[in-house]
Amino acid sequence: MSKSSGKVFIVDDDEAVRNSLRLLFKTVNIEAVTFESGDTFLHDYDADWQGCIVLDIRMPGTSGLEVQKILAERGNTLPIIFITGHGDVPMAVEAMQVGAFDFVQKPFRDQELVDRVSQALSLNQEEHENAAHARQVLDCYNDLTPREKEVMHCVVKGQANKVIAMDLDVSQRTVEIHRARVMEKMKARSLADLVRMAMLLEN
Amino acid sequence: MSEPRSTNSETEGAVRLDPVIDAMIESMIVIDENGVMERVNKATQKMFGYMPDELLGKNISMLMVGSDRSRHDDYMHRYKQTGVRRIIGIGRDVLALRKDGSNFPANIAVGEVNGPEGRRFVGLVRDLTDQRELEEQALRRREEMVNVSRLSTMGEMAAAMAHELNQPLTAIANYGAACIRLLEHDPIGNQEDIREALQEITDQAHRAGEVIRRTRSFTRSTDSEREETTLSKVAAQIRSLAELDTKANNIRLNWDIPEELLPILVDPIQIQQVILNLIRNAVDAMRDTAPDERIIDVSAKLTGPHELRLEVRDRGIGVDESAAPEIFNAFYTTKSTGMGMGLAICRTIILAHGGTLRFRKNDKRPGDTGSTFFFTIPTKVSN
Repeated sequence: MSKSSGKVFIVDDDEAVRNSLRLLFKTVNIEAVTFESGDTFLHDYDADWQGCIVLDIRMPGTSGLEVQKILAERGNTLPIIFITGHGDVPMAVEAMQVGAFDFVQKPFRDQELVDRVSQALSLNQEEHENAAHARQVLDCYNDLTPREKEVMHCVVKGQANKVIAMDLDVSQRTVEIHRARVMEKMKARSLADLVRMAMLLEN
Repeated sequence: MSEPRSTNSETEGAVRLDPVIDAMIESMIVIDENGVMERVNKATQKMFGYMPDELLGKNISMLMVGSDRSRHDDYMHRYKQTGVRRIIGIGRDVLALRKDGSNFPANIAVGEVNGPEGRRFVGLVRDLTDQRELEEQALRRREEMVNVSRLSTMGEMAAAMAHELNQPLTAIANYGAACIRLLEHDPIGNQEDIREALQEITDQAHRAGEVIRRTRSFTRSTDSEREETTLSKVAAQIRSLAELDTKANNIRLNWDIPEELLPILVDPIQIQQVILNLIRNAVDAMRDTAPDERIIDVSAKLTGPHELRLEVRDRGIGVDESAAPEIFNAFYTTKSTGMGMGLAICRTIILAHGGTLRFRKNDKRPGDTGSTFFFTIPTKVSN
């Protein structure tokens, strides 16, 4: 179902719930990894993981909300979907306010959870690709000479070659050569593409 | 007695006592040394249903039941021989027999009179039927109260129970959904997964049933019945219910009740009710306790030659000193929800079992917090 390479990381203290979820995700071709407590999950957690987390809000030991907090401190980017029980809505709201992706109430419809997880996986995939893209753009940018960087800044501000040539006190022909080099080195397909990259770099 | 048969009072010139004796609510019977009835008052007639003529000159054992009846002559004979009193000056609760064959509980007091005509015995009989009924009513009311309190405890635990039922239900729903998908994709190739999932569904349905069963046996409303059992057995049956509450509140529940403790004679459900109540109070007391401090210790030991003690120790906020004298009183509560009946009923139950329920502040060691509630229970006397 999902084309993402991400996995769903399931944290739930109830063995039956864990195993049933793993089988459920297997039937929709999503690989699931299960953890029996917040502590074991935090112990194994790696910031390079891709996918999303399905987290039981009510667990003995470190609770779901505490796990979320600790993950945030570690710079986690995996979306978190909380599984909540009867009467846990205030806790779920609190989790949403501090950035949870979503929550589902037990017992839930399988499709409901599968849909949320698929969305979370796509989101994570997208973010992952964006991050990879940003790194690539930065690498290209770092390859530019100081003069090329100057030209790029002027170009993305929308300045005409003639204006840039005057500002930098070079010939219009030189600007054209630099500009072509910038487009080539940045692997930009169009001016619009280059503008997007410049915005990405500003972040 | 309608016709004065005795002439003693007249001959002695004293106050005529017959109207007084007839005005008494209690039955008065005078017998001679052989147990033969000589005088009876009006109340006797009413209480036993006999006319005076049917009684006078007869042996008093006709008003008795069972071994009292068959052995009364022996008792009197023995008293004459040895002077050992079984009843005279002591008083006793017995069953008395009416003319119509029915019984009633009665208290009898017997006095001895030595007159010129020899030794006489005067018996006063009080009908205890009404008193017994009141006692039984009070007992029934207490048991109803205990039952109601148990039900209300379960009501308060509904959220925790819903959580516990949700686990197997969630698993069943997931497995069922997975089975449908597996069947739709490749029923033959997925056979093994499907079989396993169905087995899990079966197991989880039983697990949910078990949650219900545990609750049902606890909320069942029955008359109090005592049986010989052990504290570890009684307590074990309430453990899983208590765990619903501790688990939902992130509390570790330590359990140390040795199996080899002496047997006790108790109503198991009532003792479970006390244990559950004490644990639930401990849970409530730890609402603001740090997560790694959230521990309840339930333990039991022998504390006397014929006494066991069960303790529930928490690490909560403790009992406010000003509240300490009141916490066992009915309707005293510090909780926003709750009737304040829990501890009062626990104490009633424990007292009825011949034990005591008390508490102490945890302050033996530095760093101790919270309170320990404990009750004693007598061990069963073997005979």
